[in-house]
Amino acid sequence: MTKIFMAMIALLYAIPAYAMDGTAFLKQVDRNLNPESYESYRKLINVEPDGRKKEYTLFTVKKGVDKVASIFLAPASEKGRSTLRLGDNMWFYIPNVGKPIRITSLQSVVGGVFNNADILQLDYAAEYTVEKVEQNGNEYLLYLKAKTKTVAYDRLKLYADGKRKLPAKIECLTEASMLIKTIYFKEVKDFGGGVVRPAVIETDSPLYKGYKSVMIFAKVKARDFRDEAFTLTFMPNLESLR
Amino acid sequence: MVVAVLAYLLHFFIGIPSVAIAEEYTFDISETEKKPYHIGGYAEIRPALFGLDKDASLYKLRFYNRDEGGTLEEYNAALQLEGGLEKGVARLFVRTNTDYRNSYLGEDFKTTVYEGFLSLKPSSSLTIDIGKKTLKWGKGYAWNPVAFVDRPKDPDEPEQNLEGFIVVSADYIKSFPGPLKTVSFTPVLVPAYKDVNDDFGDIDHLNFAAKLYALYYDTDIDFMFLVGGSKTAGYGVDFSRNITTNLEVHGEWAFIKDYEQKYLSDTGDIIENEVDAVSYLAGIRYLTEKDTTYILEYYRNGTGFTESEAGNYYSFIDNGYVTYVSTGNDSLLKKALNMTTGNYGKTNPMKNYLYLRASQKEPFDILYFTPSIIGVFNVNDKSFSLSPELLYTGIKNLDLRFKTSILRGDRYSEYGEKPNDYKVELRARYYF
Repeated sequence: MTKIFMAMIALLYAIPAYAMDGTAFLKQVDRNLNPESYESYRKLINVEPDGRKKEYTLFTVKKGVDKVASIFLAPASEKGRSTLRLGDNMWFYIPNVGKPIRITSLQSVVGGVFNNADILQLDYAAEYTVEKVEQNGNEYLLYLKAKTKTVAYDRLKLYADGKRKLPAKIECLTEASMLIKTIYFKEVKDFGGGVVRPAVIETDSPLYKGYKSVMIFAKVKARDFRDEAFTLTFMPNLESLR
Repeated sequence: MVVAVLAYLLHFFIGIPSVAIAEEYTFDISETEKKPYHIGGYAEIRPALFGLDKDASLYKLRFYNRDEGGTLEEYNAALQLEGGLEKGVARLFVRTNTDYRNSYLGEDFKTTVYEGFLSLKPSSSLTIDIGKKTLKWGKGYAWNPVAFVDRPKDPDEPEQNLEGFIVVSADYIKSFPGPLKTVSFTPVLVPAYKDVNDDFGDIDHLNFAAKLYALYYDTDIDFMFLVGGSKTAGYGVDFSRNITTNLEVHGEWAFIKDYEQKYLSDTGDIIENEVDAVSYLAGIRYLTEKDTTYILEYYRNGTGFTESEAGNYYSFIDNGYVTYVSTGNDSLLKKALNMTTGNYGKTNPMKNYLYLRASQKEPFDILYFTPSIIGVFNVNDKSFSLSPELLYTGIKNLDLRFKTSILRGDRYSEYGEKPNDYKVELRARYYF
């Protein structure tokens, strides 16, 4: 009898929260992570198993659901390099090479566990559809499926805080549900202007045992840009937006 | 069933991390303050060892009147400085390159202004540049047949900075909703007069070039041309597109009108022709699941030499060398030298080439370590250069690279007739 009762309780927890609009929730998560158009500074830290670190500082701008660009400010070896993403298209501009070259989402311009899709993250709702939502009290688990084959991860399991509508953890999976990496969202901070979001994103991966990469956010604020700032021709001039 | 559900729930509960788990990471906000000026660059040392091929035609041409033994050492150093000053809509940018070389020819020291231009940006849609700058048109990695206003790059070092030309150029950008996302237009004026771009081509011409770029249905497309008289007119198109998350394709096509071809006949006479030439390039960049990146390109050089035209050149040098050894008369070798400069001596001067670069990111879990192998194959004469390379970037602002190049080919083939059989090079580059 006890077993049946426990199973019923368990099933109640496991039943998808049909009453909830998963897509609307995901869009709210996106908006809480950052304004639709904004600028921010980020520090990327790759941490090796022995504790050694390599750091990069980036200035990032985003507009709408599918435009994001970043320029490296430090270290000196990377300064002036910039990246641009327009939907599924990504480019990397190296001042020495002098022209933007196309890159793919699974590559990484900084090495470490973050790939280009992580660094040039678009709104989750722009790239994924919500297949299922599970609720456990104030915590939600969203099962996301990539809208197209060109998205870096075929499936995401997004664990979210239902009250703040912010992600706590995201598991990135292949089509065969193999775990590629886990992204942890930490240290929720008030950046001003109504932006309250995790200030630290950390990731590790079973493919890079012992390594982890960290992204720290600063000066996240809403700002509008002209579309022309998100073009190949403008990439060498991204610094002028600061 | 119950156990499975409970196990699943347990996973679900403990799967959500506490926000309190946080390690201390620092982000000094002062790093983000913008300064109106910027000074940077790099310094490098690059010692190299060449293994000479005494039977090769180009060895005979270069060393016919000296004996340098079986190997040659060369000590190179470079200092590249760049500075920028920004005020309002104006930005001044200068990049200089100083090369030091200590070789069998003695010490050589040369400073060149690679770029130096004033950039005016009255809006995010319009930029006007005046001064010396590189334009670097084209989508190819190793070669760019559509780069009409650039100096040719070296497929061995395609990511090196190059010296620009003095130009007046503008970039006008417009974005749109829909499948045509971006259009930009880049008109360029290239004066070629005494002391101004006198190495661009024939002097006393004001050349005009332009590029029209579009991002259309997720494909980068460029149309470009160059007219004006210093060089033969060129018209080109290129494209680039991501097919999947790990595969990119690109291509270039160029039409060069009335190209002045100059080559040696089998009797050693100089033959000059005017031909319309078509050059093109097709390439892919592919990333495997194991993080190996392949860049593969095929290059058709329409202005290049055929195998027999190249053979005539090597045979002419050999004949000149025999004459020099038997009579001391080097006039034929001097004639060959004249035919080398800007002609047979160009990088990859023949018709058909393949380029392959395979690089493995961080093998054996060694972070920031990238071994690569680069192959350039001459499809016509089956000669090739193969260059294994080890790159380590784990020390802040320091790149360490060890590269070996092995050159192989039959007699009278491009790589078979290079003056060296191999090259070993170490490069330490520090950025500041």
